[in-house]
Amino acid sequence: MTSVILDKVAKSYGNLEVVHNIDLTIESQEFVVLVGPSGCGKSTTLRMIAGLEEISGGTVSIDSRVVNRVAPKDRDVAMVFQNYALYPHLNVANNIAFGLRIRRTPKDEIAKTVADVAAILGLTDYLDRRPSDLSGGQRQRVAMGRAIVRRPKVFLFDEPLSNLDAKLRTQMRAEIKQLHKRLDVTSVYVTHDQVEAMTLADRIVVMNDGYIEQIGSPMDLFMNPVSTFVAGFIGSPPMNQMQGVVSGTPSGKQVMIGDAAFAIPDNISVSDGQQVVVGVRPEHFSMTPDDGSPAIPISLNLVEPLGSEALLHATIAGQPVIIKAETNGDIKHLSGISQVYAPRNLVKIFDAESGVVITGQHGS
Amino acid sequence: MISWNLYSRGDKIFSIVVSLLIGMFTIATLYPFIYIAAVSFSSGFAAQAGKVVLTPIQLTTEAYKYILVQPEFWISYRNTFIYTIGGTILSLLFIIPAAYALSRPQLIGRRYFNLFIAFTMWFNAGLIPFYLNMRDLNLLDSMFGIILAFAVNAFNIILLRNFFESLPQSFEEAARMDGANDFQILWKVFIPLSKPAIATITLFCIVARWNGFFWAMVLLQSEDKIPLQVFLRHTLATLSDDDEFAMTQLEAAYSAETVTAAIIVCSVIPVLLVYPWIQKYFEKGILLGGVKE
Amino acid sequence: MNTGSDKRHVTTVTTTRKRTLKQKLIWLGDHFRNEWQIYLMLLPTIIWMILFLYKPMYGLQIAFKDYSIFRGVANSPWAGLEHFETLFTNDQFIRAFWNTIKISFLNLLFGFPAPIILALMFNEVMNATYKKTAQTIVYLPHFISSVIIAGIVITAFSPSVGIVNTVLGWLGIDSIYFLTKPEWFRPIFVGTGIWQEAGFGSIVFLAAIAGVSPSLYESAVVDGASRWQMMWKITLPSILPTILIMLIIRIGNVMEVSFELIILLYQPATYETADVVNTFVYRQGLQSGRYDFAAAAGLFNAVVAFVLVMIANTLSRRYSRTSLW
Ligand SMILES: Nc1ncnc2c1ncn2[C@@H]1O[C@H](COP(=O)(O)OP(=O)(O)O)[C@@H](O)[C@H]1O
Ligand SMILES: [Mg+2]
Repeated sequence: MTSVILDKVAKSYGNLEVVHNIDLTIESQEFVVLVGPSGCGKSTTLRMIAGLEEISGGTVSIDSRVVNRVAPKDRDVAMVFQNYALYPHLNVANNIAFGLRIRRTPKDEIAKTVADVAAILGLTDYLDRRPSDLSGGQRQRVAMGRAIVRRPKVFLFDEPLSNLDAKLRTQMRAEIKQLHKRLDVTSVYVTHDQVEAMTLADRIVVMNDGYIEQIGSPMDLFMNPVSTFVAGFIGSPPMNQMQGVVSGTPSGKQVMIGDAAFAIPDNISVSDGQQVVVGVRPEHFSMTPDDGSPAIPISLNLVEPLGSEALLHATIAGQPVIIKAETNGDIKHLSGISQVYAPRNLVKIFDAESGVVITGQHGS
Repeated sequence: MISWNLYSRGDKIFSIVVSLLIGMFTIATLYPFIYIAAVSFSSGFAAQAGKVVLTPIQLTTEAYKYILVQPEFWISYRNTFIYTIGGTILSLLFIIPAAYALSRPQLIGRRYFNLFIAFTMWFNAGLIPFYLNMRDLNLLDSMFGIILAFAVNAFNIILLRNFFESLPQSFEEAARMDGANDFQILWKVFIPLSKPAIATITLFCIVARWNGFFWAMVLLQSEDKIPLQVFLRHTLATLSDDDEFAMTQLEAAYSAETVTAAIIVCSVIPVLLVYPWIQKYFEKGILLGGVKE
Repeated sequence: MNTGSDKRHVTTVTTTRKRTLKQKLIWLGDHFRNEWQIYLMLLPTIIWMILFLYKPMYGLQIAFKDYSIFRGVANSPWAGLEHFETLFTNDQFIRAFWNTIKISFLNLLFGFPAPIILALMFNEVMNATYKKTAQTIVYLPHFISSVIIAGIVITAFSPSVGIVNTVLGWLGIDSIYFLTKPEWFRPIFVGTGIWQEAGFGSIVFLAAIAGVSPSLYESAVVDGASRWQMMWKITLPSILPTILIMLIIRIGNVMEVSFELIILLYQPATYETADVVNTFVYRQGLQSGRYDFAAAAGLFNAVVAFVLVMIANTLSRRYSRTSLW
């Protein structure tokens, strides 16, 4: 039962600070995913937890013990690397057993543990092979085997799937999720792929430029992004963002984007004439005026069929948007669309300058 | 590579001419060895008459018999093995850990240690101070002195350091997380992963030791400590201006020339034996030495 | 809702983290407790270098002293520049210095292009087995000791039995005692160097050639270029950086003539062209016991060599953006 707590953790290389005062509490047995664009400091944060990178400021605690000055081997954590770091000169069994050997575990115990782990990961038939004779997915499993064999308190993953092709990645994602369910070990997982984050995480931490942008459950991030950054990062395709101006009408508040009017929730604290960004997810546009929102005229450029859905590439008052629509097996009826609706309660409003979301409870 | 069948006529002629030239250079390289081997198996009379060109004339092994019965030859042969094996092992014991340490980013003062080592490639004190230093250290005429005083070489350290630095960092990190200390990381991960580089350095050390001559000649006085190369040099020198030898052996089956040639063959054979085994490494190894900071 | 987004705009001032002395000491303590092993690994080599390479540098001071074996390096009386004055008026030394330069220059002129030409030629050989065999053979002499090389040269050039004179005899030319003729020493020495090192030296250039993108050749073939044209227009320009670096290294090593081989091949009759600084040092110091005087000659040589190496490194840094070390 291990929690990991980051308290004002910072990392500098020389005078350059790349991770700024991060606060993060990872509960016992939780699966937390750090996601963000490449170079935003995810790996650095993970490596500070691992002990591979010195902590420049703040404290990292594992199991309520501050580990800033504890060597990696004494932190009882295991890590899966992006390139797997499998030793090419050792076969699968010896790769998995490496950590146990170093820790002078008795031979028969090693044999038994390795056999167990191999069984869990479906590697039993490959124990004598060298890593070079394995497929990408099998290597990935060996890397995980090497991590779980020591029964560490915390698992750390640094982009473990990014060397796999798309199909394998989907499969391994499911395996990692199942493995976590089975072992119930606190896990921190780094990726730049928001789909991976959404599918794996109990909670997602969105990072940007060394700061935490938002922490929340996958659905929370999807429905309530706190900033244009998160809105643009989560979801595929991401949330549409359009520049607009607030204007009041007798029937409620609206945001005007050119001639198109977006109805917005009444309780949002914005004032007339304020510059804002309107955010609507592609899948939230509707073809029917369900809640009485005004029709929004679009000019359609391209219909991209994906199968059961299609992406409509269009512009609203000159600003590009993507709209997801059902095909019902045919895309002909989509090519004539000239207007859509944006349900009022699904429209997000962000401050045009700071990009921060404007809500009803507390605004800027 | 573009297929031969697509070559134009001119290209084909060009390629054939070049291949012939290469063949000539190769033969020119090989010929002296063949010539020496032929002399060594010829009679002294035939050699002195300048009759040997390609194959032994009046085939005989008398020259070999002459040297193989000399105890000094065997002693020097044994000494060369001691210097080569002992010296190479000692070199590796120094070089491998040092290269590992210098490849670690966490080493404080790494830049300065690197400079300290590289400086010895650019500036050395020269023969006299080195010799006097050996005398001060009481290492004159000492087998241990020869083994120790030429154990380390900055170039080899840098070569291996570069190789270690080129290994993915995650190997070390994974081992560290598994609880390995630096000695274990070096022994269980880096050394097995660096076989080509270490083989190259071993090769360089072996060759340098096997061929080492000048300092052995200068530093060693005792006959029972000199390596093969020095024995060879002594023999060459005495044979060529030993008139008495020439007189007495005039009618004999061997001469100064055939004996010289036989010693050369004996000294080259071990090199030829290990050469194919190590050849696959040094082409790569030479390029590892593409020295960088 | 959990957000860090607003904080970011509040704490835009980054506090530069300066450690206090106490924190630094704690950090150092941790560092050595965790990392002492790498220092232990480096230690033997550092001690060795001090003992065998740096201590002799300290001993170089005898070049400015009236060295006596009994008093040792530190206690011998200073002599100022006396040895250097003797040195620069010593005909033998001046001759040795110019011989070094001349031999190096000949080595550069003939020995430097040889491996390049060889590599370019190897690149044109189509039969892989033939190429591999030839390479194996031409690399071999590099691994043969200078004593044996000298033995081969002496035997091959000997007046009565040597193959060279045998061949000359076929051509009706009187036998020549090559190794006693000053005018023959340099050609024989430089030629031996090419024979021994050209093959091995070609490895670097062959690697550079292997790095040339095949698509360059393919597009040249489409354009109808011949192999000869490709060699001049594609291969050679592509390996020019390597050639430049190797040339710079060679220039840096001008003072490093392989004096082992010279000691084995020269004799008083050929000193006139064969004696180089290092052989001069060897005779004066180790054979005649004039340690201080010889050390001065050695120091002069080392300083010239050092300056050349530094110039070479600066040049290579400028032209190739990589330094040699
Ligand atoms: N050793 C280093 N020295 C200087 N800067 C570094 C170093 N390692 C990483 N950085 C910088 O720190 C930032 C964060 O890197 P990283 O944590 O690897 O990002 P990512 O989120 O892609 O994993 C990047 O801007 C990177 O350039
Ligand atoms: Mg990363």
